[in-house]
Amino acid sequence: MTDPLLMITLPLLGAFLLPVIERASSPLARWSGPVIVAAGALIGIGAWAGMEGPLVIQLGGFPAPLGITFQADRFSLLFAISINLGTLLLWPVEVGDEPRRAVLALLLAAAGGGLALSGDLFNIFVFYELLSVVSYGLLASQPGTDGGGAVFAATLRYLIVSAVGAVLVLMGIALVYQATGTLNLAQLAELAPTRLNGGQGLSAFVLMLIGFGVKAELFPVNAWVPEVYATASTRVSALLAGVVSKLALLVIVKLLLLVFPLPEAHRLLLLLGMLGMLSGELAAWRARDYKRLLAFSSIGQLGVILIAFSIPGEVGVFAGLAVALHHLLLKPAMFLLARRWGGSLDSLVGAGRRSPWAAGLFILLALSMIGVPPLPGFWAKLVVLVALMAREQPLYNLAGAAILFGAVLEAGYLFRIVNRFYDGEGVASAAQRPTELWRAGLLTGLLLLTLFFIGPLTGRLRAIAREAADVSAYIERINPLPLSPIVAKPSAVSRETSRRVRSWLARGGIAQ
Amino acid sequence: MTLILSVGAVGLLLIGIAGIVLSAHVLRIIFSIALLESGANLLLLLSSFQAGAVAPIRLKDGFPAVMADPVPQALVLTAIVIGVGVLALALALAMRILAAHGTLDAREIRQAMDEAIAARAGVPPEGGGQAPRSGPDRIPAGEVGGHD
Repeated sequence: MTDPLLMITLPLLGAFLLPVIERASSPLARWSGPVIVAAGALIGIGAWAGMEGPLVIQLGGFPAPLGITFQADRFSLLFAISINLGTLLLWPVEVGDEPRRAVLALLLAAAGGGLALSGDLFNIFVFYELLSVVSYGLLASQPGTDGGGAVFAATLRYLIVSAVGAVLVLMGIALVYQATGTLNLAQLAELAPTRLNGGQGLSAFVLMLIGFGVKAELFPVNAWVPEVYATASTRVSALLAGVVSKLALLVIVKLLLLVFPLPEAHRLLLLLGMLGMLSGELAAWRARDYKRLLAFSSIGQLGVILIAFSIPGEVGVFAGLAVALHHLLLKPAMFLLARRWGGSLDSLVGAGRRSPWAAGLFILLALSMIGVPPLPGFWAKLVVLVALMAREQPLYNLAGAAILFGAVLEAGYLFRIVNRFYDGEGVASAAQRPTELWRAGLLTGLLLLTLFFIGPLTGRLRAIAREAADVSAYIERINPLPLSPIVAKPSAVSRETSRRVRSWLARGGIAQ
Repeated sequence: MTLILSVGAVGLLLIGIAGIVLSAHVLRIIFSIALLESGANLLLLLSSFQAGAVAPIRLKDGFPAVMADPVPQALVLTAIVIGVGVLALALALAMRILAAHGTLDAREIRQAMDEAIAARAGVPPEGGGQAPRSGPDRIPAGEVGGHD
């Protein structure tokens, strides 16, 4: 019962059965959604606990490049579990709008799990598209929006950017397939050093980086972020910024590790991460309302994560994992607080006196985000900075300096908010939703809990990174069959062969 | 043959990108995405295209000499289905936007959206840089607004 594949199939099945269950009994339907997602998370945790080495699942028993391959190492499983836990905690359904949004939430969990566990480039594309469509649905179908015009406009603009991104991914896949004749990640990893090390491989990487980067809030394709997070409901924003962006990141990291281990690719990622971080933090500095400030700072922090993952080898995976997990817990909590403080920064004057718990949580989160010593954010940033400074290339050292500069900007805009909290009485805030406070508190508690386990946690993350960065072990455990001679390069077909085929067709061909 | 098809694929991609960048009408942008997708699909098919190849089905006198690679065809089929779904969703959103804003002019929609976001956040709308669009409108637009 701990087959990680159930993390994909169970929510998919549930999503399609939910409308039927709803017809039979609506209380049952209300509970079955979260229960299925919780079951998915438990299955993932069970698989994690009972796992000795990475699991390989070949659907139907067909060997690697012929069948569909799923691969669950701890790195992938971690993100598959976190999408389930994230969906459960931030269950984006409220009383009255079942079952449609519950179906979408289940599909989100299924697509996220598939994206994390898939071992095939095209399946990754399909799950990515499923994830995209589900997020458009979640954004556009939220209840209680005033008039809804702004939500639809923001969603459509997001859809347009995402659709262009998907086309870029497809073009990248076409280039990869043209060069290698396979889309299985293990086989690609095997063939990459000989067939994808030139200009074609690099252009395929650039296309896929930009394409998958739309969801990872990568620098040139992140214009949708402030609009969508400003109009979306807080839980959906928290899900997209906290969890979905990490899944897109996971895909980029897998591609970088297995298929495109080129130094140019690493440098490009580093550069885009740096630009994203600086632009995000500067825009957050200028922002005048809480939600957009969070959106811009999320771009900035994903920039830091990209910088960390761009460090080649195991160190980079370790550093990236540390900051990614920190952001995974921190950002949703901050977005959940936005439900109280959705307005402009000026409306937050005196908020610290009116809701001391929320303000306390915010201050803790802000300190961790900046990286003030005892908090987890400090350890995460320290790992990245040490890894960056250990590199010989000046570009990496520059990135380290840029991260420090970004931290100064973060401190600037976050303390400006904290300042307002305790500055005068202000007007009484309109909406007080205690349910969101416990969710934010739970996330903050988890974040603080990691403090007591920094030592073992570091060792664990290092082991995960080592496992993820070991490409030859990845190839070995999936063990793809050699390509058959049918998949010859098109240029190898001579005119002679085509003439023979034509004469064969003239003799009757298929009609015989 | 391959050359003509490649030129066609790149042409479709360029037309699509130009359409997305240059059009000011939401429907045109959506149709440009459809063109872009067909270009990418054609490119995917071309990734292992061989002129004169036939389906790899065993016949009475053995396998055909040159067999078409079925993988990209299956991929394109999937990509087409996904594309249709996204297109339908985009059109549905466009209808909702038309109902809410009374226009499908991309710039007006963006301006209305920015104003709505700013109003909801309780801050004055962004003044500098992005807003001043005083040029003549190419497409006659309905009334702006409709949101509260």
